[in-house]
Amino acid sequence: MGKSVSVWYLAAAVFLTIVWWIASEIVQLPIIPSPLLVAENMSDIFMDYIAIHSIYSLWRIAAGLLLAVVVGLPLGVIMGYFPKWDRFLSPLVYLTYPIPKIALLPILMLLFGVGESSKIIMIFLIILFQVVVAVRDGIRAIPRETLYPLYSLGAGFKDIFFEVLWPASLPKFITAIRVALATAISVLFFTETFGTRYGMGYFIMDAWLRVNYLEMYSGIVVLSLIGLVLFTTIDLIEQHACHWQYK
Amino acid sequence: MIKVENVSVKYKTDSDMYTAIANVNLEIPDGGTCAVIGPSGCGKSTLLKCIAGLIPEYEGQVYINGEEVNPRVQTIGFMPQNYGLLPWKTVVDNIRLGMKIKKAPELLDRNVIKQLMRQLGIEGLGHRYPVELSGGQQQRVALARVFALQPDVLLMDEPFSALDAITREEMQDIFLNLWRKFNVSTIFVTHYVEEALYLGQKIVVLSAHTGGISQIVDNPLFGGKDIRKKQEFFEMGLKLRNLIKKDWNQIWENQ
Ligand SMILES: Nc1ncnc2c1ncn2[C@@H]1O[C@H](COP(=O)(O)OP(=O)(O)OP(=O)(O)O)[C@@H](O)[C@H]1O
Ligand SMILES: [Mg+2]
Repeated sequence: MGKSVSVWYLAAAVFLTIVWWIASEIVQLPIIPSPLLVAENMSDIFMDYIAIHSIYSLWRIAAGLLLAVVVGLPLGVIMGYFPKWDRFLSPLVYLTYPIPKIALLPILMLLFGVGESSKIIMIFLIILFQVVVAVRDGIRAIPRETLYPLYSLGAGFKDIFFEVLWPASLPKFITAIRVALATAISVLFFTETFGTRYGMGYFIMDAWLRVNYLEMYSGIVVLSLIGLVLFTTIDLIEQHACHWQYK
Repeated sequence: MIKVENVSVKYKTDSDMYTAIANVNLEIPDGGTCAVIGPSGCGKSTLLKCIAGLIPEYEGQVYINGEEVNPRVQTIGFMPQNYGLLPWKTVVDNIRLGMKIKKAPELLDRNVIKQLMRQLGIEGLGHRYPVELSGGQQQRVALARVFALQPDVLLMDEPFSALDAITREEMQDIFLNLWRKFNVSTIFVTHYVEEALYLGQKIVVLSAHTGGISQIVDNPLFGGKDIRKKQEFFEMGLKLRNLIKKDWNQIWENQ
């Protein structure tokens, strides 16, 4: 399975590169450079210029994601497992869930400054709600009957959590992260265009302002590669942890 | 021994309290079997859950081996209607789960599990997941799971009702064999009169009308050879069916 999936990724990459190449041949303008030139430029400058920016972006994503899981997972478990808490917390979640998180950016920047923390909190907020709702719904969907044999053996909350709640909500949890991460990356790009001199967003916008299209394209390619790595990692984790689902 | 004394269970609904079962008294000797039968909604599952210690608030007492029921103290094997297997665990891990929770490493004896699986004809399925099993195979795994615990009490809610008639009779025989071997006091809910007659030493008829027991029948046919084909079996079945119907009619008359 893993092999055939990577073949498809490769095919998609080849296809997109060909489309890009044809476009560059037709247009013949610096705004669409040939993929060959971009590849050449990328290998020249990656270690010296781009790597540090991609590490900054990855760090922000990782920190926001980790924070969202650390807060969201327990919240989702509590809401899904204890109806009383859910009655109290659900309205809060539903009132704040639909707000486009990007609209909060000005407030975050006023509160936390334009530096690292507002960028990380932005990602945290985007992923948090998805995680809470997914975990809660995953746990709610567990039939009571599944729990009875464990209760009748005197299972405590720890047993219930590790044997049932966690594995039952894991697929939804991973899907939520996958969905939220796509949004988080595009919002990160936006927030990196100010208040920092590091990050892929900064690098790409900076190259653009310097009218250095080759570097700009290199940045875009690296950004999509980062996305690819993140999503394949999530896929791999899912295949490993939820393989019972694909039976 | 299972002893149920004056047990009543009330459920809180939006407006008031609903009495699901009222004043149930019941005694099952060590290693005995008891069938609970009655119309839908009469509180069969409620009674079973109560004995399993799954209902936090009830009136009256439930004793298992002389002690008040407590899932942490006694080993209570509970088999819900849909088998309650965990889809993310393999067959073997599902069977082992109970021991893991009971923290009973002395029971984690591979040989016991192996033997049970062989006896149930699922020895080759250990590494499969529940979705890869037929209903009858899932049922066997569920049986292996409860019997592997060698529980003080075995409680089964409509254990074989999801199976086709032939598989059901086969499973009933498999259950009887296991029960004879392990000698576990068993209470099971069923809505098949034949099942109650075949597997129950005692048959408790619950009433939807009063919420209590309308009759306890000591089953003279239990354990006989090939009783399913005998005339008395049909006659007893008819009698039981009429008992249950009478209870139904009383509800209609009261409405
Ligand atoms: N958690 C609950 N809250 C409120 N009422 C409940 C609850 N569980 C069961 N009841 C009610 O109690 C009554 C008995 O339910 P129970 O599930 O014990 O019936 P049953 O005899 O097992 O029925 P069936 O044969 O259909 O499974 C029903 O009227 C049901 O609506
Ligand atoms: Mg029931």
